[in-house]
Amino acid sequence: MNPTPADNIYLPKLARLERVVDEIDEVRTFFWRFLDPADQKAFEGFKPGQFAQVSIFGAGEFPASLPPSPTEKEVFFTVRRVGRATEALHQLQPGDVFGVRGPYGNGFPMEQYAGRNLVFVAGGIGLIPLRSCIVYALAHREKFGKIQIFYGAKTPKELLYRPLLHEWEKAGGFECHLTVDRADNGWQGHTGVVGSLFRKPGVTVPTENTTAFVCGPPVMFRFVIKDLLEMGFKDTDIVSTLERYMKCGVGKCGHCCIGVAYVCMDGPVFTYRQIKKLGEDI
Amino acid sequence: MRARLIASDDVIKIVDVLRRDHEVMAPFYGRGRDTYFDTVTDENRDRIQLHIPNPYYPPKRYVLPHIEQMFRIRKADGSYEVQSTYDEKKRAIFGIRSCDVAGIHHLDRFYLGRDFKDPYYARRRAHLFLVNVVCTDPQVDINDECYCLCTDTGPAAKAHFDLQLMDIGHGEYLAVAGSAAGESLFDQPFFRKATPEHVERRRKILSEVRHNFKATTGWFSATVRYISQEKVLEKTWAEIGSRCLECGGCTYVCPACTCFTVTDRPTGPNEFERVRLWDACALYGFTRMAGGHNPRKAVHDRRNRRFFRKLAHYFIQRELSMACVGCGRCAEVCHGDVGMPSTIEMIRRATTEYLAHESNAR
Repeated sequence: MNPTPADNIYLPKLARLERVVDEIDEVRTFFWRFLDPADQKAFEGFKPGQFAQVSIFGAGEFPASLPPSPTEKEVFFTVRRVGRATEALHQLQPGDVFGVRGPYGNGFPMEQYAGRNLVFVAGGIGLIPLRSCIVYALAHREKFGKIQIFYGAKTPKELLYRPLLHEWEKAGGFECHLTVDRADNGWQGHTGVVGSLFRKPGVTVPTENTTAFVCGPPVMFRFVIKDLLEMGFKDTDIVSTLERYMKCGVGKCGHCCIGVAYVCMDGPVFTYRQIKKLGEDI
Repeated sequence: MRARLIASDDVIKIVDVLRRDHEVMAPFYGRGRDTYFDTVTDENRDRIQLHIPNPYYPPKRYVLPHIEQMFRIRKADGSYEVQSTYDEKKRAIFGIRSCDVAGIHHLDRFYLGRDFKDPYYARRRAHLFLVNVVCTDPQVDINDECYCLCTDTGPAAKAHFDLQLMDIGHGEYLAVAGSAAGESLFDQPFFRKATPEHVERRRKILSEVRHNFKATTGWFSATVRYISQEKVLEKTWAEIGSRCLECGGCTYVCPACTCFTVTDRPTGPNEFERVRLWDACALYGFTRMAGGHNPRKAVHDRRNRRFFRKLAHYFIQRELSMACVGCGRCAEVCHGDVGMPSTIEMIRRATTEYLAHESNAR
């Protein structure tokens, strides 16, 4: 038997780092391309909400959500430096080679949301997986109703993709509401948790025919879900991507198993109705 | 399936035939009760045991090694060469018990089923030949913790072996072929034609052997139902969890546990290897993410994860076989007495009692 690389689901394909953009403290965006154009082409069919396994040889592999939309020309990761492998990614220079395999996971079924209002609620780096949907919605603006983004971080310095948020607001006719937990001297905007934005004067969130995308740290997730349910959202109209430790991304290693689901295969996108049933701490 | 007769003294000749083109593993006695699977050599050939307590360390490692190299990674000229490393060696396990045959079948369902196939497992499995020996001796083959009757995996495997041997007394074994490869062994001169009388003897012995199992908890299906219907009280789960010492022993001896972790390590100045190792949901770091957040902190969340995963109907449907084969190893190694049989008993007892009280209170 002469195995070809295509046989091996765990085999990372080589990619070259093209450029790096500093976002906020400890968070950078890494633009890259596969060395083999065929790999690049195959990968570009990904869906918003999917993820990839990133290999930094010698340091290990980690799952990273895909912030670009398939409607964009480039692929990149936005990654916070939190562990051994992400630290090693942050050490890479443009031109360096690393490994990528994927895309994996179910992704957001964007076609299903056609004709609906979209409400994006993000906390901290939870905006990374939602960026893909937002840009996708912007590229197909005519397909969707009202689009709102509610985004919060601990401090103004920790608001991710800030220049982009303004750009999207202007180009796409989105409503974009920002908040921080702790203001600094230059901050003129809203202060408070993300949920408090829903009650800001002048803000009306439609709950009929609306899908809410929620992504952020567990504590924010719990409170935002409570707010949304109180506002009248159905549990099937609230969707999120779950974050879990993963070693394989293809339903074998067992690390991401929650309740009866494997996050890598059955997710990472789940409706709140599904999340409730999984019965574990998010 | 065809059956043949073979004299007890000739059984070892099957090993000799297999050794011509296979690495053959067989069970041996270590010190005291210790038993283990090892590679058969000219030196240890005569010490192979047909009747023996099932070794703790399961033969699953011949398809899913404790530690296995996945790639060799070489850094050169600013890029990398990544080379998958596969084990294509032909192996035979001689004397594998019926529960472990079922264990390997479960791994087949898990690693080769669904959307993705595991290439390392697939290669090892394709080159594996299984000679099942049926547990018939109540003194050595069957121990107090065996409960394959409840999982319907023994004492005689019904399928998924290449050859099955069963001691039918009078210095004779009945051999049953389970695959074309197994059947081709019947060309060997030491196999003789079996008569209906031999087959009848096999049937009789099997039905007698069934009475020699002590831990015959018939509560398996009720427990599967309670877990799947979410009827098990949090209190019961917590009680099971509180008895767990988090040693991970149950998962390391389990022939049906599948979880692994992956890590890179250096093998030279510009060389690395990516390896995978058995991992266990009972261990603290299993779900811990970079940055320290661990969604599954409480001991009982982790401890009970294993029982939930093995007994919830969803997973049985998903993999088409139950992730417990009734070998009883987890019960033997557990210091807190929360192996599978006692856990099933605890869940069944507590839940039945609770449900009875609940209906009386109405």
